[in-house]
Amino acid sequence: MSIGPDHVAPDALVGIPRQRTNAGRWVAEGWSAFRDSVRAQGVELLEDAATRGIFATDAGGTAYGLPHGVVIARTATQVSALLKAAQAHRVPVTVRGGGLTTEGESVAYGGVLLDMTGMSNVLQVDEKALTVRTQAGIFWSALAERLRRQGLDYLSAPLNLTSSVGGTLGVGGIDVNSPHLGCSADQALALQVVTPTGEIVECSDSQNAELFHRVILGYGQFGVITEATLRVRRYQALRMRYFYYVSLRAAIADLQMLDAEEASDYSGILTMMDKAITLLVAFDTDEKEKRFDQVFLGRVHGAGEAAFALRMAVSYAMRPWRWREALYLYRRKSVLFPEFRRPEFHREGKMHDRTVVFSRAVWKHWGGRQMVIPDLATSAEKFIEAVERGNDVCRKYFRYYTLYCVGIKLREDHRPHYELSCIPPDARGRAYGCEFEPMLGDAVYSRDMLQSFKNEIYDVGVELGASYYRFGGMMKGYIRRVFGDQLVEHHLTKKRAADPAMILNPDVVF
Amino acid sequence: MSHHDCSGCGLCLLVCPVWHGSRDVRLTPKGRARAIQHGATREDLAASVDGCTLCGACEPACPEELPLVDMVMELRSGRTFPATEVRTQGKKKLLLPGQALRAEPDRLARTLALLEGYELAPDDGMDIVTALETGAPITDERLAAFLAPLALARQIVVAEGLLLRALRRWLADASIRGIGEALLPAIGANLRAGDLYVIASQAFNCDQPRLIARYDSLRSSSGCEMNLDLQRIAMPVAGQARWILEGRSIERIVVEDLSERAAFDFAGKPVLHLAELA
Repeated sequence: MSIGPDHVAPDALVGIPRQRTNAGRWVAEGWSAFRDSVRAQGVELLEDAATRGIFATDAGGTAYGLPHGVVIARTATQVSALLKAAQAHRVPVTVRGGGLTTEGESVAYGGVLLDMTGMSNVLQVDEKALTVRTQAGIFWSALAERLRRQGLDYLSAPLNLTSSVGGTLGVGGIDVNSPHLGCSADQALALQVVTPTGEIVECSDSQNAELFHRVILGYGQFGVITEATLRVRRYQALRMRYFYYVSLRAAIADLQMLDAEEASDYSGILTMMDKAITLLVAFDTDEKEKRFDQVFLGRVHGAGEAAFALRMAVSYAMRPWRWREALYLYRRKSVLFPEFRRPEFHREGKMHDRTVVFSRAVWKHWGGRQMVIPDLATSAEKFIEAVERGNDVCRKYFRYYTLYCVGIKLREDHRPHYELSCIPPDARGRAYGCEFEPMLGDAVYSRDMLQSFKNEIYDVGVELGASYYRFGGMMKGYIRRVFGDQLVEHHLTKKRAADPAMILNPDVVF
Repeated sequence: MSHHDCSGCGLCLLVCPVWHGSRDVRLTPKGRARAIQHGATREDLAASVDGCTLCGACEPACPEELPLVDMVMELRSGRTFPATEVRTQGKKKLLLPGQALRAEPDRLARTLALLEGYELAPDDGMDIVTALETGAPITDERLAAFLAPLALARQIVVAEGLLLRALRRWLADASIRGIGEALLPAIGANLRAGDLYVIASQAFNCDQPRLIARYDSLRSSSGCEMNLDLQRIAMPVAGQARWILEGRSIERIVVEDLSERAAFDFAGKPVLHLAELA
């Protein structure tokens, strides 16, 4: 039975059969033989309802599905045995790290859910070479915890404590230092990968490079990352500065100017709708900050906190009928600003452990049982238009929302990694991404309504030739529209060769 | 607030000693909440519930501010937390030293000397601690008998973290502190770089928002290290003493909770109770 057009935005799904955006449940042929096979090899397969229920949804909370069984990853050998049996019996395997997807990419619609957080040990820290070898199920926060004991830190990681290393390397990973250090995936030097057919392979740019290129930013299609060697650096507390705007265009122009000039070590934009726009910049060293003050401060158009608050007060005093919006902004500021300035994370004016500060704030003030965060990733030139048009979509659907914008420094030598990924093909030097996150709160929205909102954002991307961070799962109907048949077929051919039974992470991309 | 309010962020995993030891999400607050949201029963979760150490590290981590320790205790006992509340009337200062400190008279005497004006409570309530831990019932009579002498005090210092948490509810108008917080003013200046100061996690984590500034300031001024993780939550010692020491260069270990001293025997470093720093 086909599903009718979306009643909220009937144009949004033109050309895409609705059923393709929703994963079908695997019918479990061959499950019994598969179960016997893996258990005979000593793999613990958990089939009780309580365990399977733990993994029924992801951070988005809009996609639900139950696996037939769960395996907690322990060793590459165990993962290998699992995948070999899965190939033989054509059982889908969905791999999950922190489960922070929003489009159901880490939800298993039947088959096996492979929980990678069982492989969370740091294996070796090399202080001289500034590298770390770690099991890939580890959360970035746990990795940071271990590195800090030796005065070290990772380069860039998502501002979310429970993102896993393996999951992040598979999709990108954006930090507020990504405009200068690139995405998290670009810091991987080497990987141990279990291929969909169960081979355990070490790969890097110089060893099994084709596999390395496909697995990095590969959305889990070409292998399970079990270990990773990452670049690290000396730990630095940072000094954070904030500038406030009422114009998205002005804030983005300043962000891109500062990035292009390498004026700071960290930069990004965080907004309350399009009313209060914060440009944050931060510095690892006093020298860098001093240079910013001397050279760039006069070129930044944003106001300080007091001046901006005064401006807002005057603006809303003249528009009293918008008191509800003013009250929202005031209340939001009252809870958010102290959260970002908690004294235990600041010493002598410097912020320590930025990921903890941001992540706690994100979960406390943005998180919830349901989250949708459609995004657009474009070249620098197209970014302002993408954000303004995406902002218009947000305003159409929601009273309150947040935009988060950040640049991503690209590595020309990593072009092969970027193919069919969130990195837009026309971006040079630096790409830019914007997440559009409605504040859902306790309100209940239909999945159709949320899907329509995401579709309209993604339609902007199709028109602009953009890419997306979250193009898998429920959004995979856009993959051919965005990347074109030729590139998709090229990757599909490779996928079929690497994964003959098409069992690894089904319904994410292919 | 219940398991159904958990959004599944997983921040509790980062601080959960059971998760650190097992890497098994089923044994964590997130695992229990997600399972319950999808229909699991108390019986389904028995192993997970029994495995919880009640360290309370998950509570300050939880953005939903769920009462996660209470939720485990309720799953264990099948009852809500005993809701007694007793009004305090006296001006005494009492110390409930707990089993470990009471077993070492020298250290107990030193602790009492540092806590000026305090006297020993007649009853440590160790059976009540055990009942809270295991979910065994506490009769109204026993609870009343335990609380009666404590109701004569305005200030109470408690070694057992789980008891401290309970007493704050049962004696809501008394000042109830852990041994660490009570002794810090007397011993803080004697901490130094090269020390690992091991905070008693149960007492700290149930009051983390209030205590963190004080401990962080002490860490900064003394140069010592602490068993605080990146979220500024006290890592429990049970099962993870080696992890707490991993990658650190430590000369001396100072414990707030005397019962945790033995966990660091493997380290080959002097392990002191904080009262010995004075």
